Amino acid sequence: MISFDGRALGTGSTPGRAFDLDPRCIEGSDPVSGAYANVCALADADAAIPFDQTEVQQARRDALEWWIPMLGDTLVCITMLALDESRCGGAITVTRAPVDFGSDPFARLFPATLVRTDIFSEVPPPAGPVIERYAGVAWPGGAFR
Amino acid sequence: MDLQAGARFPDLDLPDHTGRARRLSELAAGDPVILLFSRGWFCPKEQRHLREMCALQDEFEVAYARMVVVSVDPPGEQSALRAGLGARFTFLSDAERRWLPQLGLLEESDTLHQPYRPTAFSLLPDLEIHRRYDGFWYWGRPTAEDVRQDMRAMSRRVRDDFERE
Repeated sequence: MISFDGRALGTGSTPGRAFDLDPRCIEGSDPVSGAYANVCALADADAAIPFDQTEVQQARRDALEWWIPMLGDTLVCITMLALDESRCGGAITVTRAPVDFGSDPFARLFPATLVRTDIFSEVPPPAGPVIERYAGVAWPGGAFR
Repeated sequence: MDLQAGARFPDLDLPDHTGRARRLSELAAGDPVILLFSRGWFCPKEQRHLREMCALQDEFEVAYARMVVVSVDPPGEQSALRAGLGARFTFLSDAERRWLPQLGLLEESDTLHQPYRPTAFSLLPDLEIHRRYDGFWYWGRPTAEDVRQDMRAMSRRVRDDFERE
């Protein structure tokens, strides 16, 4: 779980709206210090869209096609923010250095806030798919094993 | 190296189109894979075939399957080709030709580029080879329908709930 109060991110019992994320992003042993997190989400409890909405999948397609390649080595991790099994609360893209976050395809879902953070670890970028796995883990986490 | 049906394909470790180190097993991530060895961006046959594979990517992305292309093009050239095709799947670069001789897939008729011979493999999630396609002749390459049939057969093998009584 991760929390966002509109300005800052936290883990554990920190104040703010709680989201599920790809757990690999915060379970790594070597978090990146001073990373840039582009948080496309709102602290407002009503800000949610169904994962089934086509714009969610299209944002992921754009992420696979050009957003992740554009970020290259500066990408630390990327994760959707899930409210439950059916509702999307947004997404976070984390980088080592500031980039053109104005191109973030997930900012089409929710407005973005840039946050400096020390909580995220590097996760290999996804190679697909564009939908959640059966395990219900926030994209791109989870797999059939 | 045995690259026939039933053998285990080696877990390639190569940079992707962004230069990031990748492993084939990591890209498979528990899903069946169509692995395409390509001559490179310069070959019109490759461009045509990859466009056909791109037409399948919408299906792959909702059907828990993966597509991976390997060539000797450097990552920057792969990234340009990928963008031109509108591809969203991963390209792996063997520009140093580290795996090419081990796999025995050198395109011997092209002494200029020394590329991979067009060859495709449908792989189970553990990289067991389900089917091999030799694409030196264009008609030997997998069509979209071949790929669909392979994905159906492999999914039937690995998804316990693929067919219900």
